[in-house]
Amino acid sequence: MATPPLALKLTGIRKIFNGIAALDNVSLDVAAGSVHGILGENGAGKTTLMNIIAGLIRPDSGSMEVMGTSLPAGGVRASRARGIGMVHQHFKLVDNQSVLDNIVLAVSKSLWSRRPQTVLRDIEHWCHELKWTVDLQTPVGELGVGQQQRVEIIKALCGGGRILILDEPTAALTPAEVDELALAVAGLAKAGMTVLFISHKLHEVTQMCQVISILRRGKLVYSGGVADLSVEQIAEKMVGAKVDVPRLVQAQGNTKSHALLELESVDYRISKRTPLILKQIHLRVHPGEILGIAGVDGNGQSELAAVISGAVIATAGRIMRSGAANADAPAGSAYIPEDRHKEALVLALPIVANLLLRKYRQRPFVRWGFCRFGQWRGHATNLVRKYDIRCRDVDDAVGTLSGGNQQKVVLARELSDLPELILAVNPTRGLDVGATAFVLRQLLDARTRGAGVLLIHGDLDELLSVSDRVAVMSGGKLLETPWPHSTPEQIGRMMLGGA
Amino acid sequence: MMIRRLFQRMCNAATAVTLAVLVCGAVLTLAIGAAALLGYPPLRVAVLWLHGAAGSWYALSSSCADACPLLLTGLAAGVAFRAGVLNIGAQGQFLMGALVAVALSTRMMICHQPVLVIPLALIGGALAGGMWGLIAQYLERYRSVPVVLSTILLNFVALYLAEAALQGPLQAVGTAAAQSPEIAGKYWLPLFVAYTDFHIGIILALVLAVLLWVLQERTVFGFESQVVGLNPGTAKAMRMPVTWRQFQIMFISGGCAGLGGAIQVLGQVHFMTAHMGNYGYAGIAVALLGRLNPLGIIFSAGFFGFLDTGAFRVEESSLALPHDMANVIKAVVILVMLVLAGISLRRSRRVGNPGSSAPTETPSA
Amino acid sequence: MNTSQNIITFLSRQAVTAATPMILAGVGELVGELSGVINIGIEGAMLMGCIAAYTVTGVTGHGTVGLLAAGATGMVMAVIFAAATVWGRADQIVAGTAMDLLGVGLSGMIWMMYQNWRENLGFSTALPHGSGFSPVVIPLLHEIPYLGPALFEQYMLCYLTMCLCVVAWWTLNHTRLGLIIRALGDAPEACHAAGVRVRLGRSLCLLFAGACAGAAGAYLSIMQTHAFASDMTGGEGFVVLALVIFGRWKLPGLVGGCLFFGLINSLQQTLQTARYTSQNTALHALTHVPFQFFQMLPYVAAIAALAIMSRKSPGPRYINIPWPSTKT
Repeated sequence: MATPPLALKLTGIRKIFNGIAALDNVSLDVAAGSVHGILGENGAGKTTLMNIIAGLIRPDSGSMEVMGTSLPAGGVRASRARGIGMVHQHFKLVDNQSVLDNIVLAVSKSLWSRRPQTVLRDIEHWCHELKWTVDLQTPVGELGVGQQQRVEIIKALCGGGRILILDEPTAALTPAEVDELALAVAGLAKAGMTVLFISHKLHEVTQMCQVISILRRGKLVYSGGVADLSVEQIAEKMVGAKVDVPRLVQAQGNTKSHALLELESVDYRISKRTPLILKQIHLRVHPGEILGIAGVDGNGQSELAAVISGAVIATAGRIMRSGAANADAPAGSAYIPEDRHKEALVLALPIVANLLLRKYRQRPFVRWGFCRFGQWRGHATNLVRKYDIRCRDVDDAVGTLSGGNQQKVVLARELSDLPELILAVNPTRGLDVGATAFVLRQLLDARTRGAGVLLIHGDLDELLSVSDRVAVMSGGKLLETPWPHSTPEQIGRMMLGGA
Repeated sequence: MMIRRLFQRMCNAATAVTLAVLVCGAVLTLAIGAAALLGYPPLRVAVLWLHGAAGSWYALSSSCADACPLLLTGLAAGVAFRAGVLNIGAQGQFLMGALVAVALSTRMMICHQPVLVIPLALIGGALAGGMWGLIAQYLERYRSVPVVLSTILLNFVALYLAEAALQGPLQAVGTAAAQSPEIAGKYWLPLFVAYTDFHIGIILALVLAVLLWVLQERTVFGFESQVVGLNPGTAKAMRMPVTWRQFQIMFISGGCAGLGGAIQVLGQVHFMTAHMGNYGYAGIAVALLGRLNPLGIIFSAGFFGFLDTGAFRVEESSLALPHDMANVIKAVVILVMLVLAGISLRRSRRVGNPGSSAPTETPSA
Repeated sequence: MNTSQNIITFLSRQAVTAATPMILAGVGELVGELSGVINIGIEGAMLMGCIAAYTVTGVTGHGTVGLLAAGATGMVMAVIFAAATVWGRADQIVAGTAMDLLGVGLSGMIWMMYQNWRENLGFSTALPHGSGFSPVVIPLLHEIPYLGPALFEQYMLCYLTMCLCVVAWWTLNHTRLGLIIRALGDAPEACHAAGVRVRLGRSLCLLFAGACAGAAGAYLSIMQTHAFASDMTGGEGFVVLALVIFGRWKLPGLVGGCLFFGLINSLQQTLQTARYTSQNTALHALTHVPFQFFQMLPYVAAIAALAIMSRKSPGPRYINIPWPSTKT
């Protein structure tokens, strides 16, 4: 039986970052016309491998072949010329340029023409194939995430695309958009396109792919048909050991007691000329519960967090904490922001300093305006031990820690004083399963001891696994859901409605 | 444990110092080499330079006196940059300080006892510099004018303002030039070693440097201003008074530069013209070489003072190598220190540490 | 009637003459900033251009060679700056200050050495006769009333600058090259993912900016005047930075701002003499104002212009962030 030609053949790929092997002797065969899933947890090396195929990174050793002919490593142009296009997890788009400009930037080879005919025809062809309509003149920044992804896909396909790489494409999509993507991928495969689908979400990969490869800590641990393994086997190969993912055992609705945080008719707009971003938000967080707020990115979640944390002032409405109207966040509340590099940590400062950022003004740590660094160090050492922050020395810069440990620093600082109210936004972003479990467990522990947690999270599965109540942000409005008496699909539909 | 930390800190300081010394040495060698290429005998240049800078007590005192304004403008730049305030206006603040000091000790004297006039003039100079800087900070906070640009433009405004004053109410009798009258001898800053240039302004500047070091490294104010400079977003989230700190820092920074002008006029030159050297801009080089640390700035100011004084000696000699060579050296030093800082900053932010769990964020390549 | 036409003609012509070096340096700086690099050291590059043009013209006797030397010198300064900031990841603002110091220092040194050398050889330091540039009058067009002389009785470099403006505007807004340049400053990751070499692109933009700044310096020393003085740029490089912001990083705004600035400058210079000679009592009253207040007017105007723009204008997002950035 003649074997169909291999679209892609990788042999012995190795890549080392900072002394750690991100990819360790990975060899992979990808058949033409297949939808090939690449599974692994965050940090397993999936993105690095795809970046090497797409030409953004040069491997330390190993070789690649496309359709039987060798592909020189380390050039985006070279990979593109062989038909490899990649849609990255964080879109590589220029927000204030139009859709057409973005595609021309990436696809065209000439320096001169801004609207080359070849590119225009290509775009038309793919829009027709995929049955999509895209307005070429809109600035990309004004498009929703789903639309932006379509632009990225067309951009990857133009110019003779034969191998399409999708890196965590469903991270920011609603369930309905995920289904549309699955349809598109199936259609492309039928037309002969080879699709590499990277994800850490088991159920999506098993749904869309026929062949999967599993990476764990830089090594390829399995490559074969998806039907040959059970879901549990796949999960175990991904993670290597059983990890206890914390789950809410029993939702408790403590809505009778006083609210720790209450928003009443809160509106927000950036300036008088811009439209309302938050519209008449009502919410209450009670002690001993986790209120989860789901929603597609861009529906006002960041602004809601900013208003509650005090970074911006609401345009209308009242925010009450533990009874006091519009009081500045009292000492008993914690904030775990979405972007820890921008709002929670100072990367260049040592771990000690970062751990003390909330308390450096308080009594044991200061005397007559002078910092008592001995006390700082003692407190920091305690926290490092208690929260198992893996670091070489407490004086090292926080920037040298891994993402998971950085988040642990944030949690240690914010949660160690047993705050009454916790605001957490996308707290597990970019973390591996172990770190994710740690974060979720901390939130559940806080809930158990009676704190109230407001969790704004983009990962619906994780959100649903720990929340007592769920509300949905859609188009600036906050919609209540009957969770736990509803299905994830219903919530997904609410996330889309009104967007 | 404490000993290990102390040792570690000494090692860090030692590396910083060694680095700075290496950079200076390398640049100097290159400079001498360049001089050789241009036809100036290198050995003689080096000898003249050293002799001019430190060959006698008088030369030494000259170098120190020249280092004094550099120390103050260096402190101005260092304090500001560390807090993220890009004050490039030390030149103008220096001039304003000198102007007010001259005014308070010649034409606009409030009283006549030296024991009152001198401190008044110094304080007045510092206040003038501080307020000149606050103009730029106000424009940044309330009109979104980038402080980098406004401070530079204000330097020019200060220059013309000073000239106008020196040809107007502060003009010396009997001349048409933009020049102030000479300050009476009893109002000069006293010398602490007779027949040299060692005036007590030098001591004042050193004391100020130590005080600023304590403020920066040991107080809550210093910690907060550092966080504000490194990451204003986090500073805001931690409820630090960002704007207030920025204003305070700008005031201190401008005040140092203004004090520099006042000390220069009362201690060294004893009258004022509108062109008093480029201490303001050179202060930036001093601050960078000193790694934004007041103690380091003391040494780098000393180095630059030696550099300048020696360069003038070389220019006066038969070799006539232009003293601007010193400015070129300062510029090269800034660039080299910046590049090294950029490289080391990237290293300290590397993600993925052998002692931690597997890296969860692959670095962008 | 005629006097008012004369005044308008005179002022507008002076304005364009004064504005040209700023527009020239400004176009270069705009391209550099759009690609993500802010260069405060334009002043230093311009000064180096001044001295290079002056000395090379003095030695060779040909202004064109001097002009080319100035452009080349500006590019050398740009190479140093690019090496430090784009490749060496130095902070752009402080590095720019260093380039200013370098320019001031080097040009001062070269000037002194040039003077010594020429005196030793027995030559004067003035430009050889006929080697500097004079205005070139374009026949017919320069007779358009009011603005004719302003636009068509200028130095050759001015006409070249006008062409450069048009070419630059077209390139930035209607070609893929313009897309790339703007994307370098707004979204370098997108460029990198598209196969554009970010650091190389930024370095090339800086080279262009350096050539422009050097040529602008040549304009000052071998065209507008036939002399060199160590402060002859008079802060124009910094004003250009302000005007780029004021024009919201668009070419028409920049050109407009520079022309307005040139107008204020020529107005201020004219007023300094006019207040003595004029019959107008209001103008005569100005004689009591020290002339330095006129001199500082342009800088105050620049600050005021920036202050009047009420909100922060959207500049390129990745200015002063070296590539590759260590953001996650």
